[in-house]
Parts: sequence; C-alpha cells; structure tokens
Amino acid sequence: MLGLTNKVGKFYVYTSTLISAFVVFLIFIILLINSWEAISTIGLDLISLSWNPAKGEFGIISMLYGTFVVTFIALVIAIPLGTFTAIFTSEILASKYRFVVKSTLELLAGIPSIIYGLIGIAFLSIWFQDLFDLQSGRTLFTAGILLSVMILPTIITLTDDAFHNIPEKYRETAKGLGLYNSEIIKEVLVPIAKADIKSAILLAFGRALGETMAVMLVVGSIDRLPSPVLNWLSPGQTITSKLGREIAETSFRSVHFSAMIFMGLLLFSIVLFLTILAQNSSKKTERLYE
Amino acid sequence: MNRQLKNKLFTYATWIAVVLSTTILFFLFGVILWNGLPAIDLNFLTQASSNFGASGGIIYQIAGSVLMVLFSALICLPIAIGTAIFKSEYLISKKLHAIINTLIYSLNGIPSVIFGIFGLILFVNILGMGISWIVGSIILAMMILPTVTLSTYHSINSIPTIYRESSLALGLTKWQVIRKVLLPQGFSGAITGLLIGVARAIGETAPIMFIATAFSGVAFPSSFSEPVSTLPTHILALAQQATNPDALQNAWGSSLMLVTLVVLFSISALIFRLKHQTISKR
Repeated sequence: MLGLTNKVGKFYVYTSTLISAFVVFLIFIILLINSWEAISTIGLDLISLSWNPAKGEFGIISMLYGTFVVTFIALVIAIPLGTFTAIFTSEILASKYRFVVKSTLELLAGIPSIIYGLIGIAFLSIWFQDLFDLQSGRTLFTAGILLSVMILPTIITLTDDAFHNIPEKYRETAKGLGLYNSEIIKEVLVPIAKADIKSAILLAFGRALGETMAVMLVVGSIDRLPSPVLNWLSPGQTITSKLGREIAETSFRSVHFSAMIFMGLLLFSIVLFLTILAQNSSKKTERLYE
Repeated sequence: MNRQLKNKLFTYATWIAVVLSTTILFFLFGVILWNGLPAIDLNFLTQASSNFGASGGIIYQIAGSVLMVLFSALICLPIAIGTAIFKSEYLISKKLHAIINTLIYSLNGIPSVIFGIFGLILFVNILGMGISWIVGSIILAMMILPTVTLSTYHSINSIPTIYRESSLALGLTKWQVIRKVLLPQGFSGAITGLLIGVARAIGETAPIMFIATAFSGVAFPSSFSEPVSTLPTHILALAQQATNPDALQNAWGSSLMLVTLVVLFSISALIFRLKHQTISKR
C-alpha cells in the first residue's frame, strides 16, 4: 500500500512536470502549424509593404516596423530614466525608505495594461494632438511614450536590485581611495552590476515588444509605413495591435488568419530569444567577495 | 572638466531622473484615483450594466473577473505543486534542471496576446469549446503557472535537508516525507505565488478578449461554456467609446475597481509571505 502511494505520488509529480514543460512546445507547435499555410502559399511575399487581405497581399513590414519603432522609443526613454532613478533609490536614498519605494514600484508594475491604455486615450493622445497640431494624437510616438512609462517600474526595480546586491565593502574601499560618489558608481558599481542591468533591459525589451492593450488603443492602427518613414508622429501598426484588432474577425484556417498567426510566431520567437538571453546574462555574474 | 564638477553633474542628472520618474508615477496613481472615485458608489458596484456600459453598474463584470481567476488558480495549483516537488525532490541532473528552468522562464516571458491566439486556435476552434469563460481560466492558469511553480519551489527547497533525513530515518517513504513534512511548508509558498499570479491574471485583457468574454447582455454564467464579461474587457469596450463622457466615467470607475482588486491580492500575498516564513528563516 505504501509502495503504491509512493508510485502514485511519483506519477503525479512527473505528469505535472511534463505538462508544465510541454506548454511552451505546444504553443510553438500550434503557432507553427497554423502559420504554415501562409509560409507555403505566400512565402517571401510576406516580407513586403502592402497588407490588403482582399487582394491577397499580406506584407508584414509595416507591422514589424511599427513594433520596433514603438519599442525603440520606449527603451530610449526608459533605460536612462530608469537606471538613474535606480542609482538614486539604491545609492543615495536612505535605506529605511527602501521598503516604501519598492512597494510603490511593485504596485505600479501591477497596474493592468488596459488602464495604461485608458490613460493614453484620455490624456496622452489628446495632449500630443494639441502639442504637435496633429489630425489625431494616436501615433507611433504616443504609443512609444506610453510604453516607456509602462516599462519604467520594471527597469527601476530590477536595476535597483542589481546595485543593491553589491556588498557594502566595495563602496567603502572605493571611498577610502578618495573617489567621488559618481566615480564609485561609474567605475566600481556599474561594472559589477552590468550583467544584471543587461538582463533587466532585455526583459523590459521583451515586455515592450509583447505589450498589446495599451499600444493597440493609442497607436492609430493603420497598416502602412509613415511617409516619410521617420515621421513617427503619424499613425502606424504593431504586430500586437494588429493581432488584437483583427484576429477575432478573421475566419479560422484562411490564408489571412494564417498570415496573422505567422506574425504571432515571429513575435513569440523574438521574445523567447530575448528571455533566454536575459536569463543567461544574469547567470554569468561572477562571485563577489564579501 | 574636473572631477568635482563631473560629480556634481552626475548628481544633478540623478535628481532630474528621480523627479521625472516620481512625477510620472504619482500622475498615474493620481489620475486613476481622481477620475475613478467620483464614478464609484453603491449602485455602481451592485447593479448590472446597461446602455452598452454607459449607465448602470459593474456587478457582473466583477463577478466574471473573480470567477475566472478563481478557476485559473484551481487549475494551476496542482500542476504547479507537482512541478515544484519534482524540481526540488526528484530532479538530480543539473542539465535537466537548467532546461526546465529555461522552459519555465520562457513561459513566463511569452506575450499575453500570444496566449490569446493560442487559446483561440486550440480551445475555441480545434477542440470546439467555443467562446467560454472556462477557456479563459485555462489560459490564465497557463500564464500564472511559472509564478506559482517558482514560489512553491523556493519554499520547498529552502527546507533544510536535515528534516528530510530525519523523517527518512524514522522509516517514512519518500512520498510520506513529501506529504507530511515538505508540503505543509510548500503550501504557503504556493498560496503566496497564487495570490501574486491572480493579481496579474485579473488585469489581463489580451489573452481573454477573443476567447472568453462578451461585452453586453451577459449575466452570471450558468454553465462552463458561456462567455462572461470581465472588468478589463469592459474597460476596453468603454475606452473605445471614449467620446461619450458617461462611458468614460464608467471606464474610470471600473479601472479604480480593478486596481483595487489587484492591490488587494498583492497585499494579501505580502502579508501571507511575512506570516509564513519558511523554517530555515525562523
């Protein structure tokens, strides 16, 4: 009897692990199978400019472009802002306030993205519309700014951890050598925390690429490249906003559906690559001497 | 440029960043409270919505959200505990450990909209389950699985080896050790993880909007295969008619309610974690 429960227990444990491990593969396989139709019938024409399902044109360039522009704007703003804020919370702010700062940041990171979207629609897009005198404030730029605000808490809290994990001894020694605060941070702390900061940025990058609701509401949802191409104050489309807006209206197993799933597969692969890169980057941190 | 000047400039740069970040963060909280509070009263919380959400309340949206995350927690819990036990007690090979870790972190990183289209293809279309709230629960369970697994794993793994050795020496089988000694401890980790996971799941829109929800005319479901209405999808529908001030007002009210639920779950997780610290830390 005891041997039996032992076996049943083992069976349960193995099965659950198999299920957990299998989910990622299952998602990948399902996406791959369902995008196969598009890959085989459209082929290289997927990498073209025009998206027009009625004419059978499924070019994903403008969605890819939108995704990367929006993410680029978000990172360019959030990385410096987040890193400097993290330096403040970890190195300058007295440690008794740390708990408050950390909890606030965690709360912010927990605000659902749909609420960021609502804020974007109700405030941000209207501000930009007036500020830049646009026809509509829903642009790639608006989405990028909103996204930078969304990933800011993630970057701050992870970078703050990276600095905070460095033993006090390093700071004391550097101070003993007569270095200024800025020099300690730049020459001693940043090189040590670099791997962790890198993984924080990669994680934020992945999150920004995959963010859907907020971007979908403010990006403008027009499937073409802005003209001129670098005019980011014009409406665009990202992979996620395209999927969010259109997938429910597309009939299952059509080429159109398949082309959409292909974009999903692409996004999935990029984000997976970044996640694995981030995980390996933080692992390589060398042992610190206490 | 001398060193002192550089130091000063650096300090200024830091302060500018802090002031900017703090302003942004307080603006966010301020906006949600400022716009949300006037929209909320007892009627709003206890009535059904009408007129496409522009009037009436959000009782069915709250019920739908809570129902969906409750079931996702129930689906997720046994699988997460099993995986955590395997990782902590059965798995010896370091390589396999790294592979499973990578898979768990990958699952955690998958964009939420991908879960949505995956659910749409597999459950709604291939398995023919239709647009129903139980599909939403299954998908949300997948999304929070990594969080719950890792939290459970850490609390089981932090139990000192001496507990396992003493119980084995008393003649307990491996499974008895797990059930009587390790699981009572691990369970608190699982609950903490679940609360954190649920706090995330309840705010998700993208994974459930094509597969589990309908906007209007939905009451409390009487079977597994009906769509429900949830707070995030309700906010989405209202946000798209943002030119109507009544709809916008209700969107803010629903947002404040949603944030309140998220904060409630997060704070319970925090309290639970502080109360049930593992043996090794006592």
